[in-house]
Amino acid sequence: MRHWRAALVISVLVAFAGLAVTTSQGQSLTGEYKIGVLEPLTGPIAFEGKRHLEGYEMMRDLINERGGVMGKRLVFAVGDASDPTAAASEVTRLITREGVKILTGTYSSTLCGAASEAAARHNAIYWETSCVDPRFTRRGLKNVFRTEIDGTGFGWYNIEFIAKHLAPRFNLKPNQLKIAFLSEDSSYGQGVTEAARQRAKQEFGMQEVAAEYYAFATTNDFTPIILKLKQLNPDVVHQIARGNDAVIFWRQSREQNVLFKALVHAGATGYGSPDFGKALGTDGNGPFALLEPGPGFRVEVLRPEGQKIETAFRGIVQRKTGSYPLGGHQLAAGGLWLLKLVLDQAKTDDLEKFRAAVMALDLPVGSSVNGWGAKFADNGQNANERVQHYMLQWQGGQLVTVWPEEFTTNRAKWIPLGPWDQRK
Amino acid sequence: MCIIRASVTAVPQLLVSTVLLGGIYALIAVGLTLIFGIMRVVNFAHGEFLMLGMYLAFWAFTLLALDPYVLLFVSIPLFFGAGLLTYTLVMKGVIHASHNVQIFTTVGLSIALQNVALVLWTGDFRFVRPWYYSVVVRLGGTAFNLSQIAAFVVSVGFTVALFAFMKWSYTGRVMRATAQDRDAASLMGIDTDRVYGLTWAIGIVCVGVAGVLLAPLYPVYPTAGLQFVLLAYVVVVLGGLGDMVGALLGSLIVAAVEVVGSYVFGTAWKEVLYFLLFIAILLIRPAGLFGQRGTETLGV
Repeated sequence: MRHWRAALVISVLVAFAGLAVTTSQGQSLTGEYKIGVLEPLTGPIAFEGKRHLEGYEMMRDLINERGGVMGKRLVFAVGDASDPTAAASEVTRLITREGVKILTGTYSSTLCGAASEAAARHNAIYWETSCVDPRFTRRGLKNVFRTEIDGTGFGWYNIEFIAKHLAPRFNLKPNQLKIAFLSEDSSYGQGVTEAARQRAKQEFGMQEVAAEYYAFATTNDFTPIILKLKQLNPDVVHQIARGNDAVIFWRQSREQNVLFKALVHAGATGYGSPDFGKALGTDGNGPFALLEPGPGFRVEVLRPEGQKIETAFRGIVQRKTGSYPLGGHQLAAGGLWLLKLVLDQAKTDDLEKFRAAVMALDLPVGSSVNGWGAKFADNGQNANERVQHYMLQWQGGQLVTVWPEEFTTNRAKWIPLGPWDQRK
Repeated sequence: MCIIRASVTAVPQLLVSTVLLGGIYALIAVGLTLIFGIMRVVNFAHGEFLMLGMYLAFWAFTLLALDPYVLLFVSIPLFFGAGLLTYTLVMKGVIHASHNVQIFTTVGLSIALQNVALVLWTGDFRFVRPWYYSVVVRLGGTAFNLSQIAAFVVSVGFTVALFAFMKWSYTGRVMRATAQDRDAASLMGIDTDRVYGLTWAIGIVCVGVAGVLLAPLYPVYPTAGLQFVLLAYVVVVLGGLGDMVGALLGSLIVAAVEVVGSYVFGTAWKEVLYFLLFIAILLIRPAGLFGQRGTETLGV
């Protein structure tokens, strides 16, 4: 009998110990909290949508290891936003059938507008982590929030890099630089490009020699544009590419032996996508892409809380994919982590209280995943200067962090870009 | 709009780019015009068979180290079989139905094939990089990629072969007879169902081969066909329904408008320009530039 009692006591102790282990932060998770995750999972941009979904899932697991959200286990109801119409109808489905009150997504600037409008009609919270269309937070919608910088921020960063990092190394003043703007014609490409054009001209007096937009899905030959660039001889090509347009433009530039001094891009698509390296290998050495941090990033320069979550996230990505986090992973994870912080603070998904918690969030740069901070404006946009971004460069077939230099152990190479066969 | 004064030095390269890009469009359009012309079916799944050709090249190259140009010979019977299979399973049942039903069927087939590819191979971009993928030939101030030349040569070869087949072979004559009057052909003892099956299969072979040839030039992904197929429709209508040589020349015209229009007016204008040309041709000559007058009333 005594043995039986002892066994029971030990069993109970072991069970409690097990519970404590499963919630590593010492908090038990009571029930589930479901949010809607909306990404393009079919169609022409599914490749990037799936990466974002992976990023959300890995961060969700990390969040659940760290106490979940509002003390509950975070779970997803996933919707496929293959185009703007599907995005809007999936939002309605997730709200009405799955019962979610918060939606996050959608990677693409062509989708986030339609999705957030649909969410607004149901008075649901829309938490955007990736799209950068500047118009997204200019519609007076009180339910809309964005953790990523907007397109004007991308344009701002790119011109900062060109004027302050590249121009001195070309032995030119910013106003002596000849710059050609080239972009795919979506709201993302136009938003970033117009912001960059404005700053380049008004603040630095750069000489714009060309500004061309193209339809990325139907442009199969860039030779006409490249021949024009040959004639105009720009120092810098500022190109916002979306997919295979980056591969075709770079390959054909090499074929035509056009020699600009640098190419600068922004975002996780085009030159910012790992596909560019897969397609071209070391032939793709040289272009810059403004992104989240990549190899070479010095995590020790972040604040202690930022170091912890950044290291943990990198670890989980490394375990699950065997590689450094990709841009899509980082955007989704960075945004979802901020959502957790807000929900834990608000303790509710009531829009007014949630909004108050968002506005109260004040994290300096270096506090979170990707070295981000947070300070949201009344329109729901995270402050561009808090969403620290980094310039990466294709070196040896991979993207490495090269700027700002205090954040990285790597240095930019091939400034200016030399002959095509000498960029190895 | 950015209008630039054409540099004389750019003219040879613009010509070369036109010819090579036209070759790629022709390769895709030849199969489409055959199906369009003989069967009177608008095949909206044409781009997806192009995508399957690209995936075939990718997997053969990745798993078996098989060069796309070697694969070309294997792909012909493979796509012929795939064409017969899809005809029997999908198209045969709707070949005598209204055009609306045929359109919905091929759109359905297109979406099904895209999503099968997405499920099987994910949405990731894949690349075929044989040793010659970045070989550039420089000649007389122009530069061009070796793979593009190969695509152009094969497209001219296919066009000539199909033209000869349709013009001088017995089967070709039977196919043309079926195109002209399905009922009369049946009364003459022609097995029209067999003709349609054969036509569909040959059309699929053309576009499948095009996919194999394009794989070293463009990324492979489930919707890769979409970026080319819209242009192929323009080419087919422009060149004349069912006309092989018309498809080749129509491809060159569309490529010229695209290349020269992009250079002179700006890339954003290229689609405006060739669709304006498209509308103009339809208004002036509805049968297309090289089609026989009146063929447009045959059913499409």
